[in-house]
Amino acid sequence: MAKISLRGVEKRYDGTVVLHDCNLDIADREFMVLVGPSGSGKTTLLRIIAGLERVSAGNVLFDGARVNDVDVGDRDIAMVFQNYGLYPHMSVYDNMAFGLRRRKLAPSDIDARVRRTARMLGIEPLLGRRPRQLSGGQRQRVALGRAIVRDPAVFLLDEPLSNLDAHLRVQMRAEILKVHRAVTATAVYVTHDQVEALTMGDRIVVMNHGRIHQVGTPGELYDAPVDRFVASFIGTPQMGFVDCHLERSGERITLSTQAARIAASDAHRRLLQAFAANAITVGIRPECLTLASQADAQSAEVHVRGVVQVVEMLGAEQYVHVATDAGALTARVPRHRSVKVDETVTFVASAQDVHLFDRESGLALR
Amino acid sequence: MAVAMGHPARPARRASQAVQAVAIGLALLWSLAPLYWMLATSFKTELEAARLAPTAWPHDLTFANYRGLFTGELPFPAFFLNTLITCLATAIVAVIIATPAAYALSRARFRLRGTIAYAMLVFRMLPLVVLLAPLYLLLLHAKLLDTHTGLVVGFVTFGLPFAVWMLKSFIDAVPIEIEEAARVDGYTRFQIVRKVVVPLILPGLLTTATFVFMEAWNNLIYPLTFVTTLDKQTLPAALVLTFTGQFKTDWGGMMAAATLTTLPLMIAFFAVQRSMVRGLTSGAVAGA
Amino acid sequence: MTNGVASRSARDAERVPWIDAMVLPSAAVLAMVVGYPVVYTLLLSAQDYNLLGTTPERFVGGGNYRKLIDDATFWLSLSNTAIYTFGSVAIAALLGLALALLTENVGGRRGRAVRALLLTPWAVPFVVVAFLFRYMYLQNGGVINALLLAAGIVERPISWLNVSSLALPAVMVTNVWTMTPFFFLLLAAALAAIPNEVIESARVDRARGASLIFSIKLPFLRNALLVSSLLMIIANFNDFAKIWAMTQGGPGYSTTTLVVYVYRQAFENFEIGYASAIGVVWLLLLLAFAVAYLRVLRMK
Repeated sequence: MAKISLRGVEKRYDGTVVLHDCNLDIADREFMVLVGPSGSGKTTLLRIIAGLERVSAGNVLFDGARVNDVDVGDRDIAMVFQNYGLYPHMSVYDNMAFGLRRRKLAPSDIDARVRRTARMLGIEPLLGRRPRQLSGGQRQRVALGRAIVRDPAVFLLDEPLSNLDAHLRVQMRAEILKVHRAVTATAVYVTHDQVEALTMGDRIVVMNHGRIHQVGTPGELYDAPVDRFVASFIGTPQMGFVDCHLERSGERITLSTQAARIAASDAHRRLLQAFAANAITVGIRPECLTLASQADAQSAEVHVRGVVQVVEMLGAEQYVHVATDAGALTARVPRHRSVKVDETVTFVASAQDVHLFDRESGLALR
Repeated sequence: MAVAMGHPARPARRASQAVQAVAIGLALLWSLAPLYWMLATSFKTELEAARLAPTAWPHDLTFANYRGLFTGELPFPAFFLNTLITCLATAIVAVIIATPAAYALSRARFRLRGTIAYAMLVFRMLPLVVLLAPLYLLLLHAKLLDTHTGLVVGFVTFGLPFAVWMLKSFIDAVPIEIEEAARVDGYTRFQIVRKVVVPLILPGLLTTATFVFMEAWNNLIYPLTFVTTLDKQTLPAALVLTFTGQFKTDWGGMMAAATLTTLPLMIAFFAVQRSMVRGLTSGAVAGA
Repeated sequence: MTNGVASRSARDAERVPWIDAMVLPSAAVLAMVVGYPVVYTLLLSAQDYNLLGTTPERFVGGGNYRKLIDDATFWLSLSNTAIYTFGSVAIAALLGLALALLTENVGGRRGRAVRALLLTPWAVPFVVVAFLFRYMYLQNGGVINALLLAAGIVERPISWLNVSSLALPAVMVTNVWTMTPFFFLLLAAALAAIPNEVIESARVDRARGASLIFSIKLPFLRNALLVSSLLMIIANFNDFAKIWAMTQGGPGYSTTTLVVYVYRQAFENFEIGYASAIGVVWLLLLLAFAVAYLRVLRMK
């Protein structure tokens, strides 16, 4: 159980800045997910929290105390590595007991702990085997077990599920959460899969190019993304974007492009009035778009017209990818509606469902 | 379709297979014939071995040559023991000194790292004789000439850079996540090397030790230079020094000595042969 | 996805104390036992130092080096070394490559046995090889002459090691016999490391036999070939045992390589200063060669 804080953390390798000014607060017992594309710095950040890397600038605090100079082994953490990092020459039992032995616990104590954890994870029958005799999923559990048995204040997990097949991954996600609830420790989890992030995290940190873009609950990230990157990264299928310009006529503000017309809602109007420039990007989530006829569309608050590029059949629904003159959109269309490639279609949406972004900076208007 | 295409190819395949078999046969002959010759000669009498028209196999089979090594005038057992002791000592010492350095070169990043790695290669290139003169004088002043210790010092000098290079490639193959897991478990670097890395590179350690052992066994110039008493001499130097005068025509005896000199090396070599490839190729082969 | 494991380890620890503790003993030993002789040799090379002490050692600066330039034997030994080294390595590499390709598809126990047997020459101590071949090269009683006579290739037995023009080639044959297994071992391993998919897609493209070897397989072997050649060239430069036990550098100076020459200067003439100078020149030549070689290696 520990509160973790990062203040102004920066990391440089040979002059290249890998992490820029990272600030983060992780609450005690929270399950925090670091998510982002490859090279975003999320693993580096995790390793800095672990102590496997040193910061180039800034501070790492555990429960308010500065731990920058505290060695890895003294930080009361446990880590699950992407490739598990199991000791190949030791049995599963010894893998789990290795860390405990150093702490000079009584052998009976160690034995009890190892067996209890093994039972919790369902790997008791494997205790005598070597890692190379285990399947990927089993090795993953052993790596988890090795971390749990240490009873640490903080769990750090570096993409532990990325080497498993899809089915196992879903299964293990639930297991990890179950374990987290049982052990009541703080957990920091790194993944590149936003679905994993959304389903597992109490809060999520979205990172890109070494910067933290947004920290929030899954709901916050989904409904109120702070910039275009977060908006496009979170959510499947991806949010669609259309570049529009502003038209002000008296009290009404409209965003338009050749193929789209978006009437600003009251809330948005206030934001747009303060907006100085003219270039706005409008973002719309696929589930907010409804297929409509040309006629019905004219009276809608938001309507967009485009040419169908790809139709993906998903069983219960279809994903229709559409190209407009100012951007691409995706819509979720019920299966019974027939949509063909190269067909021109029109979608409608309600004004409050759109997200507004400054085209130049990418930041959301709020 | 496949069957029809297979047909015309078959006689051509059989021909090429025959050619391959013959070629391999020739290669085996080329590789093994001299060794057979050495073995055969060692069982021939001195007379038969010196015949103008050599016999394909010993007509007068005798063990006298081997017996003579142990009962004759020359202290062959002493030569053998000297070689064994110095080479073993060299292998052990070299590996012990080389392992920490190889680990540091493999894992850590410090300014001199590239330089040292390069320097290792350069030391390897040193003409033996560049080391010979100063080493000779060094041993002379330290009163280590004509001793086992002095010889081991010389052997280690030569073998150390290569041992570091070879061990480094074995250590490189250990995934670093395992070490990081041990760090998370709170172990110090020294403990990690001892408990995690070393057990995992045990075959590599043995291979490197064997390589150093073999190199030392093969070394003629150092014993020739540093050891002056015949009794303390190693096998290679002893063979060269004693093959004069009355022994100059005793080819049977020489081949017997040669066979016994070869045996330990051959055994050591084949014990680690597969692992040796891995150690040598890690740097050379793409992705290995 | 995380960055590669290798790059991560390379970025590890900046200035951490344990490194010093680990490297220091080895570095110290190396520096002392290797670095010191190098420096000492440089100093020696600038002196007129005769171990027998007939004249006291004195500093002559570049005197030894000037003597070198006029020393015909030195140049002969240099050319002998070049021929011996590059010639043997080239032939051994080619033979090793041929063997590797030949045994590539022989699998199972037979394949392992064949490969193990082909490796045996490398496991034989150099001195033994030298004496063995010396015995086989004998003019009277040597098996090579006997076979040649029986096959009718020659009319009279040839004195291989006592004729200046034949001695060096004869010694090189011995060298090739010992070295080929090394190339065979490495190249066979490199061949086995070629990803199967590459071979299979080449076969789909109808590449067969010679074209398969040259255009597909050889590029994969380039690196292994170059590195193993470099290793063997360096080793050959130091090749004392084989030559000394066979011919002692004779007849005349026809098989005298640099290492033999230096040994003679240092321990038969006791001219340590002069010998050191030769050693320094040798080292510089080898360094220059290695730098050029490594640059070729880096150019992929």
